Amino acid sequence: MGILPQLILNSIIAGAIYTLVALSFNLIYSTTKFFNLAHGVMAAIGGYAVFYFSKTLGLDIHIAIVLGVILTGFVGFGVDKFIYLQLRKRKASNMVLLVASLGVMTALQAIIAILFSSRFKTLSGNIDTQKIFTILGGVITQTQLVILLSAVLIMAGFVIFLYKTQFGKTVRAISDDEEVARIIGINTNKIIGYIFFIGSAVTGFTGILIGFDVGIEPTMGLSLLLKGVIASIVGGVGNIYGGVLGAFLLGFVENFGIWKISGEWKDAIAFALLIVFLIFRPRGIMNK
Amino acid sequence: MEYLIHLAILFVIYATLGVSLNLVVGYTGLLSVTHAAFYGIGAYTTAIFLTKSGVGFFSSLVSGIVIVVVISFLVGVVLSKFKGDYYALVTFGFNAIIFAVFLNWQNLTNGSLGVPGISRPELFGINFANNFNFLILALIFFVLVYFASRFIVNSSFGRVLKAIREDETAIAVFGYKTLSFKLVVFIISAAMAAVAGSLFASYITFIDPSSFQLTESMFILAIIILGGLGNLRGSILGALFLILLPEILRFVGFSSDIDAQMRQVVYGIILILLMLYRPQGLIGEYKL
Amino acid sequence: MKIIETKNLVKRFNGVYAIDRLSIGIEKGQITGIVGPNGSGKTTLINLLSGVLKIDSGEIVVDGTEKITRILPHQVFFYGITRTFQNVRLFEQMTVLDNILVVITERNIFSSLFEKHIEYHHKIAEEVLQKVGLWKKKNQLAANLSYGQRKLLEIARALAMKAEVYLFDEPFAGLFPEMRKIVSVIVQELKQKNKTVILIEHDIGLIRELCDYIFVMNEGRLLAEGKPESVLERKEIIEAYFGN
Repeated sequence: MGILPQLILNSIIAGAIYTLVALSFNLIYSTTKFFNLAHGVMAAIGGYAVFYFSKTLGLDIHIAIVLGVILTGFVGFGVDKFIYLQLRKRKASNMVLLVASLGVMTALQAIIAILFSSRFKTLSGNIDTQKIFTILGGVITQTQLVILLSAVLIMAGFVIFLYKTQFGKTVRAISDDEEVARIIGINTNKIIGYIFFIGSAVTGFTGILIGFDVGIEPTMGLSLLLKGVIASIVGGVGNIYGGVLGAFLLGFVENFGIWKISGEWKDAIAFALLIVFLIFRPRGIMNK
Repeated sequence: MEYLIHLAILFVIYATLGVSLNLVVGYTGLLSVTHAAFYGIGAYTTAIFLTKSGVGFFSSLVSGIVIVVVISFLVGVVLSKFKGDYYALVTFGFNAIIFAVFLNWQNLTNGSLGVPGISRPELFGINFANNFNFLILALIFFVLVYFASRFIVNSSFGRVLKAIREDETAIAVFGYKTLSFKLVVFIISAAMAAVAGSLFASYITFIDPSSFQLTESMFILAIIILGGLGNLRGSILGALFLILLPEILRFVGFSSDIDAQMRQVVYGIILILLMLYRPQGLIGEYKL
Repeated sequence: MKIIETKNLVKRFNGVYAIDRLSIGIEKGQITGIVGPNGSGKTTLINLLSGVLKIDSGEIVVDGTEKITRILPHQVFFYGITRTFQNVRLFEQMTVLDNILVVITERNIFSSLFEKHIEYHHKIAEEVLQKVGLWKKKNQLAANLSYGQRKLLEIARALAMKAEVYLFDEPFAGLFPEMRKIVSVIVQELKQKNKTVILIEHDIGLIRELCDYIFVMNEGRLLAEGKPESVLERKEIIEAYFGN
C-alpha cells in the first residue's frame, strides 16, 4: 500500500478546500463578471478574526467561529458597497475592477499583517488533543473530517440555495444577463451586495478551517484564490458541479504531481493544469 | 549620499521595468502580470553566468536576453489565445511556474538560498563596484530602453498596437495580423525586463527567488497604472513615486517594523483611489 | 462579371440558422443593396464576407476563381474587401488622423517599425478626411466626435483602404440630411470608379435611388432579387418587409 492511501486522502482534503473557494468565487464571478482578486483575502480575515476572538478575547471557540464568519461576510459586503459598487456605477471596465481588487487585496493583507504580524499562526489549541482516524492506511485528523463534511454541506447548501429558492432564481437571472435582470425590476446592486456577503462568509469559513488544519498567515489568500479560480475554470465557470469536479481534479493532480518531486511545485502544477485546460477545453469539463 | 545613489539605481531599474511593461499593458492593452518572471530570468542568467563561468557582464546580459526572447516567444504563443481577465490569469500562471523553477531547480539556482557573490562589471578600465559609476551604467541602459520604446510607440507599428488595444477585430479586418504584432511587442518588452534583471543582479550581488514573485509583477503593474498607461514618461513618474514612497512614510514617522506593511497599505489604497477617481493614472493616455 | 459569389453559405448560432444555404452573386462595379427585416441575416452575411465570423459550410468565391471556405479577418484585405460596422467601431482613444493612418500603413512588422511612406499616407488621410469634412478635427480623439461624425470617420477609414469591394452596414442610419448627402455622393463616386459597393439599408427611398440590384433576405434565406424598382413592387416582399 505504502504512501498511496495517504496521497488519496490528502487529495480529497485539498479538493474539499478548493471546492469551498471555487463555489464562493464562482458565485461572485458569475454575477459580477469581474475577476475579484481580493476574494482570497477573506480567508485570512476569517482565520484572523477567529484567532482574535478566541485567543485574544478568550471567547468560546464556537462563538468565535460564528462571529468570524459573519465579520468576514460584512467585510466582503463593505468592499463591494464602498468600492466595487461605486465603480460599477461609473460603468468601469472589468479590468478597472480587477486592478481595484488588486488594491483591496494588497491593503487588506497588509492591514492584517500590521495587526497580527506576518508570522504563521495556528488556530488549534494543541495538536496532540486532535483525534486522529486511520482509513485504509491513511491518516486523517478530526479537523480534516470537519473540512470534508463542511464541503459537502456547503455544496448542498449552494445547490438548494441557487435552484430551490426565489433568491437563487434572482441570482441566476443576474448571472444570465444583468441588464435584463435590472429591466425586469431586480435591484441587482442589492442582490450583488448580498452575494458578496455570502461568498466572503464562505471563504472566511474556509480560512478558519485551514487555520485549524495547518494554520494562517496574512498572504494565504492569493494562492488559495487562484486554486479556487483554477478549479472553477477547469470544471466550467458558472457550474456548481463543475466547480466541485474541478476542485477535486486539481486536488488530485497537485498531490499526485508532487509524489516524486518537491512540494514547492504545487502552484506550478496547478497553473499548468489550468493552461492546458484553457488551451484544449477552454469552457471546462462541464460546459459545452 | 551613498543612500541616495542606492535609491537612484533602484529607481532606474524600476523605471526600465515600467517603461517596458507599458508597451504591453498601456499601448497594446494586454493586462500582463508576469513581468517579474522575465526580470527574474534576466537576473538569474546573469547571476549564474557571472558566478559559475568566466564570462563577463555583457556576455551574461546578452545570454539573458536571448533566453528571455525564447521563453517569452513560447509564452506569447500560448497567450495569443486569450483575452481580458483570462489573459491576466494565464500570465499569473506563468509567473508562478517560473517562480517555482527558480525555487526548485536547485542545481542551477541554489533554490531558496539564492545566488550570492555576483560580481559587478568592469569595463574599459572603469570599475562599476563604485555605486556612482553603476548608476551611470544603469542610466545608459535605461536611456536605451526608453528611446527604443519611444521609437516603437511613435512608429506605424506602435499605432497598430494602440488599435489592437482599442478594437482587435476591427484592426484585423483592415489586414493586420494582430497575433504577430502582439507577440513581437511582448517579446521586446520581456527582453527589456531581462536587461533590468541583469542590472539588478549585478548591483545587489545576491539574488533569491523572492524578488521575482507574482507580487513583484503586481508592483510593476502598479507603477505603470499610477504613472499612466500609454505614456512612457508616466512609467518613470510612477517608478519615482513608488520608490520614494517608503522614504516618505519613514519621514512621516512609521516604525520600521510596520514600514514594509504600511507601504503595502498605502499602495493598495492608491490603486483603489486611482481606479475610482483617475483610471488613466497621473499622466496616462489610456483608460483601462 | 461577378466579383463575389456565395454558394450554399450556412451560418448557425446555437443551432439556429442565421444564414441558410444562401447563394448570391455580386456584380462588379455596381451598387448592390441587401435588404430585409431585422434579424434576417444581413449583418451576419457581411461578417462572413469580411472574415469576422467563421463559415459553417458552403463557400465564398472571389473574382470567380478564389474559393474561400475559411477566412481570417486579416486576410480579407488581400482580397480587396473592406467594410464598416453597423455599430460604429472606431479606435476610440486614438486621434481622428490616427484612425485613418493606422489602416493604411505597412502590414509587415519590420517595415511598420521603419515606415518609409509617411508623407504619402498623410496625403491619403487628408484626402479622405476632407471628403467627409473631418480634416479640421484630425487631432481630436475619436471618442469625442458626435454620432454622425463617428459614422463618417468610419466611412473615411474604409475609403482610405482603396479597396475593390466596400461593405457598408447601414451607413445612413441616424445621419442628418447633409451627412446623408455626403455618404451618398461617396457611394456614387465609388461606382464611377468601377468599385463594388454592397449596401445594407432600411430606407427604401435610398435603395431605389442608389442601388443597381438588390437582394431581399428573410430568416437567413434569399427571398427575392432583381432591380429595386421591380422587386420592391412585389406584394410578398412588401409584406415580409413591413409586416401586415
